[in-house]
Amino acid sequence: MAAIEGVIESIASDITSSTKTLFETMIMLDLKYDESSLVDETQIKTDVIGMVSFTGKYHGVIGLFCSKRFALKVASTMLMTELSEFTNDVKDAVGEVSNMIAGNVKTKLTAQYGDMNLSIPIVIAGEGLSITAVNNHPVVSDTTLSCFSKDPWLMTPFISGGEKFNVGLLLKESIK
Amino acid sequence: MPKVLIIDDSAVMRKIIQRNIQQSGLLVDEFVEAGDGREGLEKATSNNVDLILCDWNMPNMTGIDFVKALRGSGQKNNIPIVMVTTEGGESKIEEAKNSGANGYLTKPFTPDQLKSKLGNFLLVK
Repeated sequence: MAAIEGVIESIASDITSSTKTLFETMIMLDLKYDESSLVDETQIKTDVIGMVSFTGKYHGVIGLFCSKRFALKVASTMLMTELSEFTNDVKDAVGEVSNMIAGNVKTKLTAQYGDMNLSIPIVIAGEGLSITAVNNHPVVSDTTLSCFSKDPWLMTPFISGGEKFNVGLLLKESIK
Repeated sequence: MPKVLIIDDSAVMRKIIQRNIQQSGLLVDEFVEAGDGREGLEKATSNNVDLILCDWNMPNMTGIDFVKALRGSGQKNNIPIVMVTTEGGESKIEEAKNSGANGYLTKPFTPDQLKSKLGNFLLVK
């Protein structure tokens, strides 16, 4: 059985290649990336989160974390229209971006670890959102997003169009 | 002129597909949109559509359930269905084809990939 660290490393690599493919085909913005690292949830501050969860031999969440400015830039590029307001189309575009990254990762994982299921994307937008794992209290309050784990996120930092964004991963082996 | 039904829960993706088709030179007269498989089933049976593009993961009724329901209904069996989805991998493609889909395109796609896939079902100007 592969050690979870190896699986996480392999998925981080899949996230990078899936994000690159997406930007080369449908977003058409330049893309640079750095090495992935573990980031404690308390260090995460963002405006927009696009999340897709997956289940199978491993379960977890793939999340896109970005500024509203970057979300607007991506949505404008995808729709070939200059958007200045944070409309539902912008949230929809962030959801689709998260979905396409996660879908690509899932295809690669399925080949290695068997069939997996993806959720429909969820997009949360606000100002300076943070993430907190609340043990035994799965309550979402204010702009704090409750998460399923206190484990750190494996974050891969990207820069595109002069804006930073991150794609994060939370992963657990499923109990048989 | 052909009428195309696009079934996807993302309004942005429906717009992107529509724009790519319009810019590709493929001959389409009208687009009909649906946000999930259930709405897609209503639109497919109440409109004379010539081609259906369908996402896989959607709320209410998934794309694969839509394909099975439409093909199982005995109606509109001649309308080609192309799955346009983030679901990749041989087993998914096989499942879609066995259920009655006629083509398969994984997201993300380039405009050329979309044109090439739909060129099997639509005429070019």
